[in-house]
Amino acid sequence: MAFSFRYLSLHPGNFQDRYSGTRSGWWAWFLQRLTGVALVGYLFLHIAVISTARAGADTFDAVLIFLQKPFFVVLDLFLIAAVLYHALNGVRVLLFDAGIAIRQQALMFWICMLLTAAITGVAGYFSLPLIFRE
Amino acid sequence: MSAPSTSQQEKMVTGFWPWFLQRVSGFLLIFLVGVHIWMTHFSGLGDVVRGHQEELVLFEIVKQRLAQGLFIFIDFSLLALVLYHGLNGMRNILLEWGPAARHAAGMTTGLWLLGVVTFIYGAWALLAFIL
Ligand code: HEM
Ligand code: HEM
Repeated sequence: MAFSFRYLSLHPGNFQDRYSGTRSGWWAWFLQRLTGVALVGYLFLHIAVISTARAGADTFDAVLIFLQKPFFVVLDLFLIAAVLYHALNGVRVLLFDAGIAIRQQALMFWICMLLTAAITGVAGYFSLPLIFRE
Repeated sequence: MSAPSTSQQEKMVTGFWPWFLQRVSGFLLIFLVGVHIWMTHFSGLGDVVRGHQEELVLFEIVKQRLAQGLFIFIDFSLLALVLYHGLNGMRNILLEWGPAARHAAGMTTGLWLLGVVTFIYGAWALLAFIL
């Protein structure tokens, strides 16, 4: 049994069980749900925004110029972080379903967190000129 | 909040096909959402920074993107799959909640209706750039 797994164990976990047994398991599941629900909310707002194109190109441009102000560029970075975590943890779950890395669940969770932070950091770096313009 | 369920339990409650299609749609969305955010948020970044372009997203820019068949395909696939995946995910969550679980069939029908209506609305919105 992996050392780290025992160390993080809250209650005796069943290795067939994707979520129980590690503290990171609960967080991985909770964050998957939180980001999933947040993305559904964003999706409906997003479609509403894009549909302003039906009111004409000028209306669409006015709405989108407003929504590309620095404040919203920062919000976009949170959106990107949520998408990254959800997608990476989604792949983590897919691997477990395929029987891969079942015993490295905690490690895989931290890899998801690290990649989310790293890629969001790079995206943030390249977005700096948009956040600090004018 | 109820305890996280295992893969086996989840498959039994939601049914095999919703469980399976949640995974297939999730996998495809990696590429669709990836390309989408790249195109809308990053590909034009250099031009905006150098002042060749006013903003990342404007009507004309979207119109030019959607003049290419590939992006029409990508946007409509994204719209359909993300609605399926997102609403199916909401169904999974709601099925853990007693009142909704007791009316599972009605809830599923309701979510399908919401999805279909939203797809039609979203498609109508996208056609503003295409037609
Ligand atoms: C980008 C690629 C994506 C991948 C690889 C992915 C993958 C997954 C997977 C595998 C699950 C099932 C988790 C489980 O059964 O434990 C899931 C759940 C979910 N996803 Fe995604 N997803 C993606 C994008 C999205 C997007 C864009 C949305 C929102 C519109 C979304 C909303 C949800 C919701 C609401 C759930 C249910 C969460 C729960 O049951 O706790 N997903 N996703
Ligand atoms: C920084 C993030 C994002 C930006 C700047 C952005 C921008 C846009 C733009 C400009 C369009 C119009 C069509 C096009 O240009 O191809 C669009 C459409 C769309 N986007 Fe995004 N998007 C972002 C993130 C997302 C995410 C995370 C999702 C998934 C949840 C998503 C789902 C969609 C869908 C479904 C459409 C079609 C909308 C409709 O039919 O009305 N987008 N987006």
